[in-house]
Amino acid sequence: MENSMHAPEPVMLPATVLAELESAVGRDGLIVEPSQLQTYECDGLTAIRTVPSAVVLPLSTEQVQAVVRVCATHAIPFVARGAGTGLSGGAMPARGGIVISFARMTQILNVDLPNQRMTVQPGVINNHLTARVAPFGYFYAPDPSSQSVCTIGGNVAENAGGAHCLKYGFTTTHVLGLEIVLPTGELMRIGAPSCDAPGYDLTGVFVGSEGTLGVATEVTLRIVKKPEAIQVLLAAFDSITGAAQTVSDIIANAILPAAMEIMDRLSIQSAEAAVHPNYPVCDALLLIELDGRSAEVDLQMEQVRQMCRNNGAWEDRLAQTERERMLVWKGRKAAFAAAGRLAPNYIVQDGVIPRTKLPDVLKRIGEMSEAVGLRVTNVFHAGDGNLHPIVLYDASIAGQEAIAVDLSLRILRVCVDLGGSITGEHGVGREKQESMGYMYAEPDLETMQRVRHAFDPHNLSNPDKLFPRPRLCGEKTGPYTPHPLETAGVAEYF
Amino acid sequence: MTITSPTATHEFAASIVGAEHAKILDECCSAAPADAQQASEMLRFANENGLAVNVEGSGSKLGWINEGRTDLRVLTHRMSTMREHTWQDMTCTVEAGCTWLAMQTALAEHGQHVALDPLWPERATVGGVVAANDSGALRLRYGGLRDLVIGMTLVLADGTIARSGGKVVKNVAGYDLPKLLCGSFGTLALITEVTFRLHSIARQTASLTVTAATADPLGKLLLVLLDSQLNIQSMQLRTDVAGFALDVRVAAHPAVLSSQQDGLAGVAESMGLRAEASAGQEWAAREQIFAPSAFVFKATMLPTEIAAAAQAILDLGGSTVVQATGILMGNLPGFSSPHRLASLRARLEAVGGSLTVLQAPSKTDFDRWGTLPGSLPLMRAVKQQFDPHGILNPGRFLGEI
Repeated sequence: MENSMHAPEPVMLPATVLAELESAVGRDGLIVEPSQLQTYECDGLTAIRTVPSAVVLPLSTEQVQAVVRVCATHAIPFVARGAGTGLSGGAMPARGGIVISFARMTQILNVDLPNQRMTVQPGVINNHLTARVAPFGYFYAPDPSSQSVCTIGGNVAENAGGAHCLKYGFTTTHVLGLEIVLPTGELMRIGAPSCDAPGYDLTGVFVGSEGTLGVATEVTLRIVKKPEAIQVLLAAFDSITGAAQTVSDIIANAILPAAMEIMDRLSIQSAEAAVHPNYPVCDALLLIELDGRSAEVDLQMEQVRQMCRNNGAWEDRLAQTERERMLVWKGRKAAFAAAGRLAPNYIVQDGVIPRTKLPDVLKRIGEMSEAVGLRVTNVFHAGDGNLHPIVLYDASIAGQEAIAVDLSLRILRVCVDLGGSITGEHGVGREKQESMGYMYAEPDLETMQRVRHAFDPHNLSNPDKLFPRPRLCGEKTGPYTPHPLETAGVAEYF
Repeated sequence: MTITSPTATHEFAASIVGAEHAKILDECCSAAPADAQQASEMLRFANENGLAVNVEGSGSKLGWINEGRTDLRVLTHRMSTMREHTWQDMTCTVEAGCTWLAMQTALAEHGQHVALDPLWPERATVGGVVAANDSGALRLRYGGLRDLVIGMTLVLADGTIARSGGKVVKNVAGYDLPKLLCGSFGTLALITEVTFRLHSIARQTASLTVTAATADPLGKLLLVLLDSQLNIQSMQLRTDVAGFALDVRVAAHPAVLSSQQDGLAGVAESMGLRAEASAGQEWAAREQIFAPSAFVFKATMLPTEIAAAAQAILDLGGSTVVQATGILMGNLPGFSSPHRLASLRARLEAVGGSLTVLQAPSKTDFDRWGTLPGSLPLMRAVKQQFDPHGILNPGRFLGEI
């Protein structure tokens, strides 16, 4: 069993296999010491843990390929790992499996500004992409809230999102081509630096496959020209309905903001306590970021402010300076970690609903929360209907954890019932395998399995993830426990 | 696997789709299913009997893949309903046989569209556009089908009906199968229904054209504009009576549109070029490339290669329209040998591009697909999983997949 906070001792690999791995990555690239292996037993989903049998830290594509060949020869499951900030258990190893860490493959290989592309190794941190091209007026658009630590390889695996994907699209929009090592050990390039490479769009299906189709060793990305002007508005409402209506009105008026976020009263309070963003205290806070040509942004912002007022906003405050803007976003991105101030334990989900169902779903979440006596705080990407309901509870009270888990999964069911999805950016991983059955029927899942078999006929690449599986007795989706990085204040989530 | 006769196929088809929707001509049977269920029965029959199946919308792009045997044509025209336009959520679900124009006309009632401008919208069907992965000038701003399709209903070769993706833009649950299907030319599954994300139709746009005798200065201008902060919606370099023309369309709030135009004209002027208001037909120029007697090809390239490619095509006596995304449609007069394109193809392939043949008026041994990608074995494995008996357009895709 792998569900307890204390994972069992790792399965030992035969000495001959360890020798092969060592010859693949060198002595300094192989970790077998149990205390060191423990670092890799989970990712951001800390409730489920499995200690790997070994960890390798390759330096090159060749070394990755050599490692995967060893795995293929001996039928050893493997999982690639970037920074381990994923929230659904995607980077958690299989029992008896190894972890391929990309901590030493962190080079930006090529920057091609005229063609607005860059090619990088998977271990490069998301933020470093923008840092590299910012002096030339460019940025890398997808911005998961863990972007100061998470790696592009992990972003590719999970098809990472972020607040700004409302306008700029997700990771998949920005990945043009990949070099991958297939689970059989073959090296292959898929996609191309140019659009529409002849043949099937293998890149499109690889991105977001959560490590189940192989290991990326090189990523070619699109970069985006920085807009001339950026403005952020904070609008305070007495009801979620007014804020949600404003979001719909903005979209209906053909304005496409860079981001639109809503925070409820509880999350405003906890963010305030955590980083003092000086938000107005209200039932629904709407953050709207507009970008583009300055004259146009000015005009649109005036329209947006009017729409806020028409829907009952009693305050609409513009973040005037870069510093103010940063503070607004810092507060928003801290909302999740700040939930720890509201209750000893919490579970976060990231279900998606059609945007217009927002008031409806929030009402139902409110009713469900009241019925079981647990508080749920809500922070969400309102522009694309991506919720982040956070179920607050106290694990020291007998039975409350089970109620919280059940509530969080029932919220996902509500999302699906309203025409949405169980996950907008965190991925299925180990956490939501069973919830896949809410969304997809057997033939739908079986069709996905066909892709899996084409890439990974022996089921070695991150096995036992993403697809539903027979539930083992006593297993459950667990509560959220802070990741060491988060506790250390290094990263925020979503 | 049993082999059935065309007459037996016809009889079966009539029993499923109705006699008036099943036909037989030159040993080839055609059937027009009314829905995914009927399509599923037809494919299961074909799969059990080893029939080669071609799925057809309007047939406007049938020549874009290899020729090959067809025992059964599955026609999608009876599946042409707009199933759902949830305009408040900016998504729509439409059946594959609906023409692109009919779909856009319905969406326009709420000022929305699928932000893609494929060839021949009045004829081309949703399923055909998706299967051929066509796109036009709007791609620069809004992306291609891979960015706009959010869900699909498929019928696999064995008759399995599967749904993939969903009705919300943001969704990472499971594999993104719609992307695999875009551009699969009917070789993996029959698409019966597509869900799109929608955009508002730009309320005001303006189009300017800059001309020059050679492609090079316009190619430089194109790169400068890509690097600018103007709201460029579309940009294309094309051959023209004057030599070459660069068309640029900007979209903006009506009150600031003229400043965008001025900005654009200013950039051109600083490079010694003159921008004038476009005459009107520029954005339909892509369709002109497909003259019936012409040899037509598609090429893909990085933006920095655009000018040289366009110049090379003009120098060969052909014409072309290249989008700033690096997607080119070009032609050579029918009488000239396509082998003259070999050096352009080689140059593009060397920098990650491609050149593929879309229309050949006469038989040629010029290879349609060019150098096959290293990932071909993986593509074959995908095909094998989706269509193990090889009934969907067998041998007609690249590498004879």
